[in-house]
Amino acid sequence: MLNPRQMSRLLIAASRDQMAPVIAELYRHNLFHIEDYVDAGAEGYEGFKIGSPLLGASEKSADLIKIRAITNTIAVRADDIDAGPSCSRDELQKKIERDLPLLEREVEELTVRRSKFETRAKDLEEKIAEITPFADIPVDMNLYHGYKRFTTSAGYVSREVILNVPHEMHFSKGKDKNFLVVIFPTEQKSEVDKTLAEAGFQPVPVPEESGSARGRIEFYSGEMASVHKEIAEINKQLEDVKQKHAAFLVACEELLKAEVDQTEAPLRFATTNQTFVAEGWVPADKVTAITNSLVYVTDGKVFVTVVPTDPVHDSVPVEYNNPDFAKPSQVLMDVYSRPKYTEIDPTLMLSIVFPIFFGLILGDVGYGLVLLAMAFGLRKFLNGVEGRYLLDVLRNASITSIFFGLLYSEFLGFAIPGLSPIMPSRHLIAEHGGHGPMIPDLMIISIWIGILHITLGRILGIINHAKQDHGEHRTKAMLANFGWIAVMWGVLLVIWSIVQMPLMPDLTALPAVISIINVGGVAGLILAVLGVLLIARDSVLEVVELPSIISHVLSYARIVAVGFSSVAIAMVINFIAIGMLIEPQLENFSIFSIVIIIAGLVVFLLGHALNTVLGILGGGLHSVRLHYVEFFTKFYKGGGVKYIPFGMKRRFTED
Amino acid sequence: MAAEAVVTAVDVGMTVEQIAATQLGMKAMGAGVAVGLTGIGAGVAEMAIGSAAVGATAENKDVFGLVLLLTVIPETIVIFGLVVALLLLFV
Repeated sequence: MLNPRQMSRLLIAASRDQMAPVIAELYRHNLFHIEDYVDAGAEGYEGFKIGSPLLGASEKSADLIKIRAITNTIAVRADDIDAGPSCSRDELQKKIERDLPLLEREVEELTVRRSKFETRAKDLEEKIAEITPFADIPVDMNLYHGYKRFTTSAGYVSREVILNVPHEMHFSKGKDKNFLVVIFPTEQKSEVDKTLAEAGFQPVPVPEESGSARGRIEFYSGEMASVHKEIAEINKQLEDVKQKHAAFLVACEELLKAEVDQTEAPLRFATTNQTFVAEGWVPADKVTAITNSLVYVTDGKVFVTVVPTDPVHDSVPVEYNNPDFAKPSQVLMDVYSRPKYTEIDPTLMLSIVFPIFFGLILGDVGYGLVLLAMAFGLRKFLNGVEGRYLLDVLRNASITSIFFGLLYSEFLGFAIPGLSPIMPSRHLIAEHGGHGPMIPDLMIISIWIGILHITLGRILGIINHAKQDHGEHRTKAMLANFGWIAVMWGVLLVIWSIVQMPLMPDLTALPAVISIINVGGVAGLILAVLGVLLIARDSVLEVVELPSIISHVLSYARIVAVGFSSVAIAMVINFIAIGMLIEPQLENFSIFSIVIIIAGLVVFLLGHALNTVLGILGGGLHSVRLHYVEFFTKFYKGGGVKYIPFGMKRRFTED
Repeated sequence: MAAEAVVTAVDVGMTVEQIAATQLGMKAMGAGVAVGLTGIGAGVAEMAIGSAAVGATAENKDVFGLVLLLTVIPETIVIFGLVVALLLLFV
């Protein structure tokens, strides 16, 4: 449970004519994580070469590319389609030969036509944009061009321009800038350009059109509308294709992907002219099953053996090995990093502690119920495994929120009538004869959680070093981890012997040694100094990190701080909505009151919706962060190779 | 304490209630300053890390977990501020 699934390294050797059945069988099992053969002259592999694909690989790849081109065009995703009745391989194969070329032609024709129309639409758009500035000038556009001795300039100017050469000018005043068209003798161009430049002239091209500008714009707009209609028609046809063939396409894709995977597998094997060798990893408990079935399909013409491994130096693929309730938390682990094979897998601890932190932070029956409804409601929209896992994490977190909400006696920031809080109260105002906020108690509870969580992290650190390291370094690293625990508890002993605090042991009554230092303090000091020495023995630089003990433990105060801010926001919303808007109106009711009461309800709903989102962010991110930063840094390295078995889970096709 | 307060009250010409109210106001201001300034501090610190983190994630999606961790490290500053504020107001 706290370790990844145990793996065995399997070596499969056979003659080349057995390659296809062996590959097919391995693919069917979906358990063999292939270790790619690298042509680097490894010991025992002299004379081996990387294999070449099986027959028919390139045709199948080409077919797969065709299918993917079609599915991309019509936006079909396997995740969106419910697995219907599975098709057999032969049936599909026939259909692929018969229907695929037709379908491909149909889709291609449609997309080519669509892209033509799209280009046309773009051209039209450009033309309209070009003509638009001329719309306010009541001149036939035919008159702008076709002169030998005259030049037409058009563009924007910042002010009105007076030209000293013979010319014809049209000026239209705009809001931000003015538009101007001027026709003048070509030989005086330099003079005109100079005058225009002084007025901040920004030229625009003169369109090669005829007729009135407005008329042309209307004409092009009409054309554009018909082009858009055509595009919509084509999209509809593509949608029809999608409706009709989606199931076939995803089944094809699955079948071809399986076949391409299989035909290309030899590229990962070591081969000679007559034989091949495949190495890879399988879960230790599956070795017999795989060996037996390989022997069966090849009539015994295969050699399968388990190769001895070195878990520290071999890159053993890591597959989680968790009970069902802890599986959703694997998503949170993968975000950080997959554990190494030799390392403790903290998923189980994460799956238990994360919801508790979340519940301690959010701790409200109302918000918990909203989140629970969300966790079930969003299930319809998320199909992927990871999405489902995240929703499961949310579900567990919301259940603990409800639980701690009962302990805190909180419902949308109100105290639950008749239920006095079992945990120290977080209510800002004492309600129902209850207690006001008990900040010191809450703070000390969170500090306790921090101390215990970090101690657990360090203990796991000791275990990890014991498992992974060797020789002198192993002892030093283990003792250094113990040193960190010793410093933390030593400092705690010193504090307890000096100050009396609620919910913490009181050692102030112990016999004094020197001034305020008593026996407990001395013991604490000895422990802390011993700890520092043990840390320094492993790495002197680490001593610089000592203050991180305080910052990491205090960091757990966020459990109270973030939770308290959520309560405060809820109370403010309730006060504005009910105390300020609704209640006074109910006392002096009039027609106008209805409006204000509705406004109050809107504030109430919007405010609590916002606070729910903040609750997920605050509760979720801070709980995850406490794990990633404060907990994992004590023992966890990660960086394991993901276990990717050769094969697939078939959804639409049969083997 | 009370005697001191009375003496001070006489000295500055305020009633004991006025002094208590002033102290309460000072506490509230202290709490506000604690949260506000630490918030700015955390924001400034996260600004650079966050933009670098987004860049790194765009290059290589696998580092997301690591950069998220680096981004939230300065958040502790504002939590300390909030803790100080709560202690000022309620303890």
